Amino acid sequence: MDFNLNEEQQLVQDSVARFVSDRYTLESRQSIIASGQAFSDAHWATIAELGWLGLTLPEAEGGFGGNQIDTMVIMEQFGKGLVLEPFYASIVLGARALILGGSDQLKQEILPAVIEGRCQLAFGYAEEQARFDLNDITTRAKVDGDMFILNGHKSMVQNGGSAQQLIVSARTAGAQTDTTGITLFVIDTATEGLDCSSFPTVDGLTAAEVSLNNVRVPMTRVLGEVDQGFAILQNVAMDGILALSAEALGAMEMLYKDTVTYTQEREQFDHPLADFQVLQHAMVDMFMEYEQCKSLLYRATLEVAQSGLAAMRTVHALKYLIGKVGTKIGENAVQLHGGMGMTEELRIGHYFKRLLVIDAQLGNSDYHLEKFSTSSAYQG
Amino acid sequence: MSIPQPKRSATVDIELSPEDLSFQSEVRNFLKENAYKQGDYNKWRLNWFKLARAKGGWDIPKWPEKFGGPGWSPTQHYIWEKQTAVSVTPWDLPFGLSMLAPVLMNYGSQEQQDRFLPAIRDRKVNWCQGYSEPGAGSDLANLKTKAQLTPDGKHYIVNGTKIWTTLAHIADWIFCLVRTSDTGKKQEGISFLLFPMKQTGIEVKPIITLGGAHSVNMVHFTDVKVPVENRVGEADQGWTYAKGLLQHERTGLAGISRSLVALESLKEQAKGVKRGNGTLMDEPAFRTKVAELEVDLMATEFTELRSLAAAAGGHNPGPESSILKLKGTEIQQRIQKLTVEAGGIYSAAWGAKPVGHSFARAGMSGYLSSRAYTIYGGASEVQKDVVAKNVLGIKKSGK
Repeated sequence: MDFNLNEEQQLVQDSVARFVSDRYTLESRQSIIASGQAFSDAHWATIAELGWLGLTLPEAEGGFGGNQIDTMVIMEQFGKGLVLEPFYASIVLGARALILGGSDQLKQEILPAVIEGRCQLAFGYAEEQARFDLNDITTRAKVDGDMFILNGHKSMVQNGGSAQQLIVSARTAGAQTDTTGITLFVIDTATEGLDCSSFPTVDGLTAAEVSLNNVRVPMTRVLGEVDQGFAILQNVAMDGILALSAEALGAMEMLYKDTVTYTQEREQFDHPLADFQVLQHAMVDMFMEYEQCKSLLYRATLEVAQSGLAAMRTVHALKYLIGKVGTKIGENAVQLHGGMGMTEELRIGHYFKRLLVIDAQLGNSDYHLEKFSTSSAYQG
Repeated sequence: MSIPQPKRSATVDIELSPEDLSFQSEVRNFLKENAYKQGDYNKWRLNWFKLARAKGGWDIPKWPEKFGGPGWSPTQHYIWEKQTAVSVTPWDLPFGLSMLAPVLMNYGSQEQQDRFLPAIRDRKVNWCQGYSEPGAGSDLANLKTKAQLTPDGKHYIVNGTKIWTTLAHIADWIFCLVRTSDTGKKQEGISFLLFPMKQTGIEVKPIITLGGAHSVNMVHFTDVKVPVENRVGEADQGWTYAKGLLQHERTGLAGISRSLVALESLKEQAKGVKRGNGTLMDEPAFRTKVAELEVDLMATEFTELRSLAAAAGGHNPGPESSILKLKGTEIQQRIQKLTVEAGGIYSAAWGAKPVGHSFARAGMSGYLSSRAYTIYGGASEVQKDVVAKNVLGIKKSGK
């Protein structure tokens, strides 16, 4: 049993932490957003130069062969900095899907550029009527010679406005919620009939609504087998949940620590706020719930790294807890900061907003608790 | 489709090493071979401890090697906990074995160690703990039981009252905090005494708790004579010794392994409760509560592993260990509460035998008893004060 990072992981953690503390003050982050950009090109170039884009990708594809634990190390630090650059959309989701299902030719065409940061990816898996069900898909793909023709709509696609290549799930067979008959396509965003309309999300990031009108995609751009895309979708979502949870953990740590610091400085009724027991206990609760999230994140990450989809039940447990605790810690941090917690001036509110969005990404806490409690262990 | 395997192996690892796996099967075999079958329970119990002793200190897993303990790694302790939680092991009491013994090992004289430790190990002498008093609960240092030195300096004369003294009515001896000085801070002036329970001047009155059980007592001391050589360590320094012991008591109270077993029983019980065409486990509100509980327990199990792994690496217990008692006891109570809910109206039946669901009678008494878990060993609110101060680093401003 060992929960310490190895030497390489420790080095990565130190270097990501340094990047965040050197370049990611709240002020510099907010100025990127104010400039109307989705993220900073300069920061993205730095992230690529430092080798983090390839860290978790297989060596055969030009990466360093890392796994979910390495992703966790990076995402936790990114969470502390509220990093805007699309590591999650491009690498954790996009590159992972390509690795799981892309032909050699497709991977060689796209992945080197992704690792160098020249090409960005996005993953369109959601549709409005589906709420959080990945298998509920109305976007259709029909065969036409050696092409597929896609029609439909993909919703809330993170980084959709910046990506050069978009991965979408579409129905090639079966009924609306069948898990077979789903196929994944890699589409160049310059393709005719594809429209990405980008907008800001409340956490400072961006997403896009994507409409597909007779978009023609060559057969060679299918990931995995036709009709069999659901397994890839599940694997990518599982890794995505782990990464979002690590990011959330970083944000939660900042929130509870900032609150402990602030309540010792701010005085009311001739006392530092932290003198009041009711506030102390609220902060102890925040700290305890944070530690519980950390424990479950370690558990889920190790289980997924060791046994893949078989660890899905633990991943449901994790996303439920992260969603529930993340929003609670965020709300309490604002409450304990009083009026100042309501301002954009402090970091508190920005972490809170990110945690709210994380809860809703890839299924919220109610959704995952339901999945957890309807698994076989609960059947009579 | 196959999932690419990472080439780099992570050191973060929850898998047991081959040595740990073989230890695990050795423990399993031992527990299986020596499980109680039939016949004289007491004879079996004492013999079980003898056999465990012959394995090399398995009768005292937590004692240091120097005192005959097995010298296990934290992982081995974890394996032992897990395996014993799912096996039938003889009953055992923590007072002598886990609470007094560490104090004697750290602060007792050689003579006291030789005199008391062997009988504790052999389960021949039952101890009880004389800490709380009517005016000293969570604020333990407020205790008033007085021990006055006789003019010849050979004895203490003890007068006062202890309360919530678990199993005082069957105990042979008591370890007791008494006030030997009234000057200075209230934490100073406390001494740690050992004396027999069966003597004149000691009166034990039962207190029946909500579950109907008699396990705690009120104990009155009237001019009880205790030889000076029965004092552990220095006079007036007892608080220091007791504090270390309290810490020990708190970390032992999380009961994660037992909760894992109890949760599985709860699920089985609920699946046996019929409701319409299905069972109670099909009821979304109930099932959701069980699921929330299970997730918390899954996290706490890993919190305990993190704490064990830190100890294995020779580090001090990290902040994660401070939350184990708080979370662990809360989880135990939630399991008990859901058991009562599962029992429905049958949880009300309070006769000698269960009515309706077989688990309901024990479920109610277990639930009522469990309300004490967040009170004894330092109430949860006091624990939170401790975490705020020692872990979050919040200092009193002095204003």
